[in-house]
Amino acid sequence: MMKRVIFLVDMQSFYASVEKAENPKLKNKPVIVSGDPERRSGIILAACPLAKKSGVKTAEALWQAQTKCPEAIVVRPRMQRYIDISCQITTILEQYTDLVEVFSIDEQFLDLTGSLKLFGDPFTIAKKIQQEIIEETGVYARVGIAPNKTLAKIACDAFAKKNQNGIFKLDESNMKETMWELPIGKMFGVGSRMKDHLQRMGIQKIGQLATFSIDTLTKRWGINGQVLWQIANGIDYAPVTTKTHDKQKAVGHHMTLPRDYKTFDEIKVILLELSEEVARRARTGGYRGNTVSVGIRGADFNFPTGFHRQVKLTSPTNFDMDIFHAALHLFRIHWNRLPVRSAGVTLSELQPADPYQLSLFDFSLKKEHLNEAMDYIYTKYGPTAIVRASSLTSAGQAYSRAEKIGGHYK
Amino acid sequence: MKFIIQRDQLIASVQDVMKAISSRTAIPILTGMKIEAKQHGITLTGSDSDISIESYIPAEEDGIVHVENIEEGNIVLQAKYFPDIVRKLPEKTVEIEADSNLKVTIRSGKAEFNLNGQDAEEYPHLPKLQTESSFKIPTDLMKSLIKQTVFAVSTMETRPILTGVHLKLENNNLTFTATDSHRLASREIPVPDANIEFPSVVVPGKSLNELNKILDDTEELLEINVTNNQILFRTKHLYFLSRLLDGNYPETSRLIPEQSKTVIHANTKELLHTIDRASLLAKEERNNVVKLVTNDNQFLEITSNSPEVGRVAEEIAVQSIEGEELKISFSSKYMLDALKAIENDEVKIEFTGAMRPFIIRPADGESILQLILPVRTY
Repeated sequence: MMKRVIFLVDMQSFYASVEKAENPKLKNKPVIVSGDPERRSGIILAACPLAKKSGVKTAEALWQAQTKCPEAIVVRPRMQRYIDISCQITTILEQYTDLVEVFSIDEQFLDLTGSLKLFGDPFTIAKKIQQEIIEETGVYARVGIAPNKTLAKIACDAFAKKNQNGIFKLDESNMKETMWELPIGKMFGVGSRMKDHLQRMGIQKIGQLATFSIDTLTKRWGINGQVLWQIANGIDYAPVTTKTHDKQKAVGHHMTLPRDYKTFDEIKVILLELSEEVARRARTGGYRGNTVSVGIRGADFNFPTGFHRQVKLTSPTNFDMDIFHAALHLFRIHWNRLPVRSAGVTLSELQPADPYQLSLFDFSLKKEHLNEAMDYIYTKYGPTAIVRASSLTSAGQAYSRAEKIGGHYK
Repeated sequence: MKFIIQRDQLIASVQDVMKAISSRTAIPILTGMKIEAKQHGITLTGSDSDISIESYIPAEEDGIVHVENIEEGNIVLQAKYFPDIVRKLPEKTVEIEADSNLKVTIRSGKAEFNLNGQDAEEYPHLPKLQTESSFKIPTDLMKSLIKQTVFAVSTMETRPILTGVHLKLENNNLTFTATDSHRLASREIPVPDANIEFPSVVVPGKSLNELNKILDDTEELLEINVTNNQILFRTKHLYFLSRLLDGNYPETSRLIPEQSKTVIHANTKELLHTIDRASLLAKEERNNVVKLVTNDNQFLEITSNSPEVGRVAEEIAVQSIEGEELKISFSSKYMLDALKAIENDEVKIEFTGAMRPFIIRPADGESILQLILPVRTY
């Protein structure tokens, strides 16, 4: 097989960088992007390098960050803006190759194997990409270069981010003195649990895993053992694909509540709102789902309670009330009556909405016409053009959620 | 307990009783088979608490001796081993003996097995039916009733009542109905001398499937007793008890369309084979969809299209097409099941448009009804 050239392009402190680039007043000041502390989304979503120098960490509470770095400027997130910039960056990257895989909002994989003749050697291309991104969006990008995706990811996370020029090339030639020396926890695919297991087997560094007996690993973890061993040895056959997000497996919505909900009636309101959102999105995507699951988290951090349960439906659906009834049923059975901090509803086992096997006992045609009409109104006048009366009670979140993406302001 | 028994007789009975025995059961002793020896004959019992089966082997029947040297008693044997042992024994007769320590000896020719038995006193008593009222129908008729309906029960536990077949006996008419909500199968037969009536009982589909396997294809009468939570089927030597499903069976009669817009008369076999061929390419798709289009009042075009596999089209001549033109899609599997249940050479299919259920009946009568909900395609 031909040796591939894979890039992982990662944006430094993405949200914070976008804010700084668009507001000159923030230049040379520590900037923190954080949700609204009163609505409990007050965690650090991103911190610029200046803020990080004072010890601010992503995902910690806002008050913690502010004690470490009192002079930091706190900016409210603008999720839609970040999504737009991320798409803009994808467009830039697509000038170099058609194989761009969006891995997350601030990370994208590129397969440049076929483009080298056009644009030069990998380092030249990486520099060009960096420059173009910073000129067009003001965001500093780091690039990991490797023959496959996992190595590119490690190259970027472990080395390029610490480099002067933000570019690092990792392959078989330098793997032993670089990647193999890294602690095992830094390897892609090794989480905290796996780290503990491996350390107990005496594996501290990636290099030790690479030279470990593959038979022992497969005996213990099956195919995953072999995959880990391959990653440690720099082997990964996964192609860069633009189709990652083509096949959806589930539609789910989750919300952290502005205050703890204590009564059944209050929680019912948000389960209905979540079910509606899920149903609407399933319809937009042209899906029906066969399984509904509900996740609930208790309010008390010290005594974590909650559950995640699922139920199979009689026939696949994308109607809000079908999903709601199943969700409510699960909630009624499994809720322990303790206050609730967050709730989520997911529709899974998705299949295309058409063709659809009609059913004797449910008059889906009527429901379908109703939903079609509602979808039409939503598209034209926005998600709060019609809401259920229950969303007007104090428990309702429909209006506040309409202003947000992923629980943060647009 | 001791007796000597004809091996073939024993094998047949053991096989019947095994249908009720499951290796996964809440009561451990139910993984065993109970053997009871009386001077007049041997009774084998198996149960998984949903279904209980008793098979009786008389000591003597029509002058033929099946069991000899009977010393009365009873024992429970591990059903995991007993059937295979009996099947593989070398001689035509088998001697079974249990001592007071629950040790069981099985002898045939020079082969001897020693098994550990369990105390029959521990075996739960089968519930006795509290009713004397019953009705009788020929065994082979019961088998066709089951075969023509039970395939349509739901296999999903999401609506447990639909996993059963609905039985109704009213005005001397017995009706079997089964539906999984996408298709429905029903058959009605007259029972002239029934002295009972019941508006609705639901028998688990699994029970009827097992019953169908055990019953012989004879015209001998099968006696049926119904209480509010159990149903009993009884032949001369067989006692088959099943629990009934709890809950209300949906009212299905009003779901059956009374008028039709397009009526097709076709040869059952030809249509079945055409659909079967079209279904070969439909299997990849989720709903096994085939499409039927009427053509010129005498032809049907059956097609199926799986974008990733390919396409099939076939034209079939039919006896007649009356009424509106029609384009309809449906599951080939449901259609095949329905056509197989029609005993007549000719079928009558009544449609009421592409989005409404359609009905398949034998051309000569109304007693069998198969209903299928179409698949909506755009």
